[in-house]
Amino acid sequence: MIDQFAFLISEGFKIFFRNKLASFLCIITIFINFSILGFLFVIGFNTNSLIDFFRSKYTFEIFLENDTKSSSYESFIKELSTDEIISNIKLIDKEESAKIFEEEFGENVVEMLGYNPLPVSIKVFLSEKDFEFEKVDSLIFSIESIDFVDEIEYRGKYINQVEDRINLAIFIFLIFVIAIIFLSIQIISNTVKLSMSNRKDFIDILKYNGASRFFVKVPFYIESFLHSIFGGLLAFIFVKYLFTGFNSYFGVNVKLDEFLWIWIIGFSIFIGLYSSSQSMKRNLNE
Amino acid sequence: MVEFNNISFNYSKQSGVYNIDLSINENEFCFLVGPTGSGKTSLLKLMYFDIIPSKGEIDILGFNSKKTKKKNVHKLRKKIGVIFQDYKLLQQRTVYENIALPLHINGIGRKKIKENVSEALKLTDLNDFQGKYPFQLSGGEQQRVCIARAIVKNPEIILADEPTGNLDPTAAHKILKILEQINKEGTSVVMATHNYKLIAEKDYRIIELKNGRLISG
Repeated sequence: MIDQFAFLISEGFKIFFRNKLASFLCIITIFINFSILGFLFVIGFNTNSLIDFFRSKYTFEIFLENDTKSSSYESFIKELSTDEIISNIKLIDKEESAKIFEEEFGENVVEMLGYNPLPVSIKVFLSEKDFEFEKVDSLIFSIESIDFVDEIEYRGKYINQVEDRINLAIFIFLIFVIAIIFLSIQIISNTVKLSMSNRKDFIDILKYNGASRFFVKVPFYIESFLHSIFGGLLAFIFVKYLFTGFNSYFGVNVKLDEFLWIWIIGFSIFIGLYSSSQSMKRNLNE
Repeated sequence: MVEFNNISFNYSKQSGVYNIDLSINENEFCFLVGPTGSGKTSLLKLMYFDIIPSKGEIDILGFNSKKTKKKNVHKLRKKIGVIFQDYKLLQQRTVYENIALPLHINGIGRKKIKENVSEALKLTDLNDFQGKYPFQLSGGEQQRVCIARAIVKNPEIILADEPTGNLDPTAAHKILKILEQINKEGTSVVMATHNYKLIAEKDYRIIELKNGRLISG
């Protein structure tokens, strides 16, 4: 049994090395396809971080009428804080508003005008976890109708648009991913088909001498496995160094999943073996 | 050992084998004769289930052509040694590797492979050629490699399809002698040939085919 297994392994390697040009082309094809897949995977992985980043900026600020009494807005803040979509509330009184103004514009508004015209405002931080645009919209709509509310500054619509664009990009990425997987399957299947037709005599001789289907297939599975592992490994190295270089050159922090190598190499092996099995099914008349 | 029960197989309207009833016994040596296109190769192919009859059934070594599933055909072929007119040798493997192939398929260990191959090489007088490649050998030598490969697994029956078809008379006689020796050791042999001169002096059963039909035998 061990001898038989060793024989099959050696046959797989022989097929791999005898068919040098086809092996090289197959490895290059897997490398290109899985580099693109790895690239898209990293982008997809970081898109979640990007969405989280945008969501962490989900705030709106309520500017109050100048003559609003503190008792009114304090009870309003209490009421707001019970809402599940709100994670935190910060009151910015007139003095703090003046400080912010000075930080932003370099002028002391009180010294300049002789009084403080800036309104009291309430900054509302929204929960990233329970975030829903509809809920925020309806909350803002209800706040707008309160008498002492002068204006609400909310960039939700822009953020919504950004998220929509990101989701569209993810959808396009997915289509790309499916297309690349399909293309990989086709290319690997055809390589196996070519390999089998080049070795038709070998297959016939094996069959006439009593080889089972499994015995005939194993060397071709090994060949595909070798193509996939080399192609996948090259793709992983390329993607890893591409983003490492990108990060250091542009000073950004595109994160790489620590299991990226498993994703790329494992997936390329899976696709390689699946394509081979499909191709063999067709070409061995099963 | 082999039973053909009213079998027919058609490649097309004008070629195939028709209504064959035939039995071959254990340890028998028989010649399958007939002109080119008479159905000799088809009959042999039917025996190792390379083609399946469209009518009738074949029983061979406990396998029935109707009942045996495609995935189990290899079990029958393990018991049969096939010799081809065009040798069907792996050109990039040495003589030794070609002969050892059926034993690897059968999962035989390395040591036993060495012993069996050595015996087969001796019987076919190929001891000096074991490290050579088929393209370095003459036609007769290549055919002997093919025979060695067929006998190395100790099959119950040898099916030889025109084994002397491409050989000169001396080499053909040598091949026939080897097959007779194999038969003497207990293996049935069915040899297809249209070389009437070669078999004229032999006292073996002759199965004659013409236009896909059994004429005698």
